[in-house]
Amino acid sequence: MSALPNPLREGLAAERIPEPATMVIFGASGDLTKRKLLPALYSLTRERLLPGRFAVIGYARRPLTDDAFRAEMRAGCEEFARRRPVDPELWEGFARNLFYQEGGYDDPNAFVALRERLEQVERQLGLPGNRVFYLSIPPSSFAIVVKNLGLSGLVPPPSAGPQARFSRVIIEKPFGTDLATAQKLNRDIHETLTEPQIYRIDHYLGKETVQNLLVFRFANGIFEPVWNNRYVDHVQITGAETVGVEGRGGYFEQAGIVRDMVQNHLFQVVSLAAMEPPVALDADSVRDEKLKVLKALRPIPSSEMDAQVVRAQYAAGSIAGRAVPGYREEPGVSPTSQTETYLALKFFIDSWRWMGVPFYLRSAKRMPKRVTEIAIHFKEAPRLLFGRHGGEGVRPNVLSIRIQPDEGISLNFGSKLPGPQMEVAPVTMEFRYGSSFGVEPPEAYERLILDCLLGDGTLFTRADEVEASWSWISRIHQHWQEKGAAQAATGALEALPTYPAGSWGPEAGDRLLAAGGRQWRRP
Amino acid sequence: MPSNATNVEKFSRGEAISVEVDRIERELAALWQAAGRGQDDVGAGAGVTTPISRAALWNLIIPARGADSLSRVKRLADDLAPLLPARVITLCPGWGSATGGVTGGISATIESNVVSRPGGARQVFAEEITLTGEGADSVEHHFGALVRALQIPSLPTATLWIDSTTIESLLTNELLPVSDRLVVDTGRCGGARELAAVCRLAAASRVEVGDLGWLRLNGFRLLFAGLFDPPIGGGPLLAARHLEIEHRSPKLASALLLIAWLGCQLGWRPIDAAPAFDKGAGMRLRFGASERRDGREATVAVDLRPSPGECGTSGIVSIALDAGTPGAIYGVRRTADNHAEISVPIAPSRSVKLDSRSDAELCVGALGPAGRDPLLRRVLPYAERLADLVAARGAG
Repeated sequence: MSALPNPLREGLAAERIPEPATMVIFGASGDLTKRKLLPALYSLTRERLLPGRFAVIGYARRPLTDDAFRAEMRAGCEEFARRRPVDPELWEGFARNLFYQEGGYDDPNAFVALRERLEQVERQLGLPGNRVFYLSIPPSSFAIVVKNLGLSGLVPPPSAGPQARFSRVIIEKPFGTDLATAQKLNRDIHETLTEPQIYRIDHYLGKETVQNLLVFRFANGIFEPVWNNRYVDHVQITGAETVGVEGRGGYFEQAGIVRDMVQNHLFQVVSLAAMEPPVALDADSVRDEKLKVLKALRPIPSSEMDAQVVRAQYAAGSIAGRAVPGYREEPGVSPTSQTETYLALKFFIDSWRWMGVPFYLRSAKRMPKRVTEIAIHFKEAPRLLFGRHGGEGVRPNVLSIRIQPDEGISLNFGSKLPGPQMEVAPVTMEFRYGSSFGVEPPEAYERLILDCLLGDGTLFTRADEVEASWSWISRIHQHWQEKGAAQAATGALEALPTYPAGSWGPEAGDRLLAAGGRQWRRP
Repeated sequence: MPSNATNVEKFSRGEAISVEVDRIERELAALWQAAGRGQDDVGAGAGVTTPISRAALWNLIIPARGADSLSRVKRLADDLAPLLPARVITLCPGWGSATGGVTGGISATIESNVVSRPGGARQVFAEEITLTGEGADSVEHHFGALVRALQIPSLPTATLWIDSTTIESLLTNELLPVSDRLVVDTGRCGGARELAAVCRLAAASRVEVGDLGWLRLNGFRLLFAGLFDPPIGGGPLLAARHLEIEHRSPKLASALLLIAWLGCQLGWRPIDAAPAFDKGAGMRLRFGASERRDGREATVAVDLRPSPGECGTSGIVSIALDAGTPGAIYGVRRTADNHAEISVPIAPSRSVKLDSRSDAELCVGALGPAGRDPLLRRVLPYAERLADLVAARGAG
């Protein structure tokens, strides 16, 4: 007989408590598990947002005992958890339900052993068989792991009714390396999983400010009326990092900044900033609107590609008073590498709302500061009144939404300088999460893991979204490949332009905006 | 003129400065301006070394009663400052001699609530205005007018009626009409009569109502509700015939509020209250439960027992529900200040974290979404009925 509804849950503040479940983390010996996933689960436990009965099984190739796994995860939480130090008593209860299972990703027998271990843990802890599988593994193993999950019976086909148990799979980025590989991966995993079982994670969507974009735009009456081509001059999106490749030269050589940042994180931000109001805040309504933006991205013609897309590599320079090497001198990077560490783009969204409004996007490593923001530059006010006196201070209004760090929103506007003269000076009105609410926003992974346990896919990327963004981005890679091949054929392979580490990028990036009489914001 | 270098220094340190009541805004503006310019204006050794920002998200009006109450309220304002920048207006009618300038029997002090950010980053300050009345009957009207004048425009206003033993006309006549939110504290009610009065007031209020006592019960409610999540489900709740709540001796009001929540959610009809002689000290409340599987109303007995056990800040030591079959006890018992043991029939009991939040943290909660909890709106009238039942038996 199925359980009766729980009347005491109604109206409780933390109503969003998932059902008891087990999470299996593939790639449990990796960095992400230690730095992000376990600290997020620990924080959720601390906030009492996880169900009373919840277990985690770490799975990886490395042999490890349960106790050794628990010790490693505790060290990770001590170093990376949002609230430190770790509460020993809380940890004791949490760690009791942490387990480890050794096994390969392409060995079907290892998956059978995993199923047996999982069933044993479920019996031992009275867990009902709800399962979340987190794929924190190399992308080349995504398809085979999903296939083995199906073959071993770890992921039974979805069923309905009160006794139904859920099986969901969270897949880390990168999801494909171009349109063809993304489509193939979607086809492969759809052989085992239905789309609602798949949670393609992009941790940017778990950030408070990214979610606040929806609130800011659609819960306030004053912004949406000016959020269009009548009032907006252009939009700038910046995703800047101070770090270089941090020992991941081999990975970055294959990815470049386009695959690492632009296709996923920044395009998700663009789609949330540019989308139409959804009919509801459920997963598919929001994702339908995001998809429309991605589909409305105007393809850049090959003839315009070099004018609208600027790529470069960082050269040696200085970050935070420390000399840093150039990209080609990093370990694991080819001395003749053609991989971009900087990308600046000019693009248009062909919709009624955004027709004619240029979007400028830049993303790079080894920039002077770490910042991700989206800045809406409004059209200038007519200078009839202040053109001759004080006109220097009259600048277009800019609304900037800071995604990281110091999440918040600021609005620049002109104000009269005190005194007898009619001088105008730009001033800023700021909202900062930290100072306004006095609480730390939760880590993105906390929100996303909780949403997956609750079956809410709003902040995860759908198959058609991934394919739409790759469809647009792959044209850029294709152009670069064709251009490289043509140059190689003539023996005149051009080196990529460089920019000194610690600068805001190459001059070509500045020229991208200067052509329209604009310039990059200094965030 | 208080905005001299000494006063700026005192202000930047968060010390109280006496001001004329009709010069409060002007002096605050001058002090903020001087403090914001930093050390150069103040002189060597003055101690203002970091630029400051003036910040406020709420106007908070906090009435106090007497010296002890005022010092509690001021501690609360200090604790709130790092969590929520606000202009705090503390009202202390009918007490004390003037410490500052006097207008119509009211004296005023101003001070900043300093929040230092680590690493010398920009500091954010909030401000506190204390108005002390001299006992005249007309003081209440003066307070009303002053509060209206001192509200920062465009910001929401909350009245924190958390340290008052009776409901006063100051609140109903002067403060509620200018407030957007009322925050009460049923957990501080001395007994059933006081609880009934606070519930009546809060339930009748046209503004949003938050209750610190309700928020203190949150952890307990979450844990207890969690016992009946799937796979157990709500069956045992419907089968329940007996419930026992242990509470700290002066915290009867918290226990009644907890029962009110259960009664509301489970559709229990209050029948009567009587001293529970078979249990020693305490009360027994009886309810009619109509949601039985056979459709007939059954009686549920709820025993309230004072206990010296651990209770955190909620006042609740334990709750145990007897689902009617042998051994079918579903319970939560606080075992230490920040832990509780939960027990269900189908699994071994286990210890879980049960934090107690500070009053300042609870206030922040009450000013957020938790301060407009529709469930509390339903529970308050129910709690009032229970409190009246208990008070009629002369208990509390």
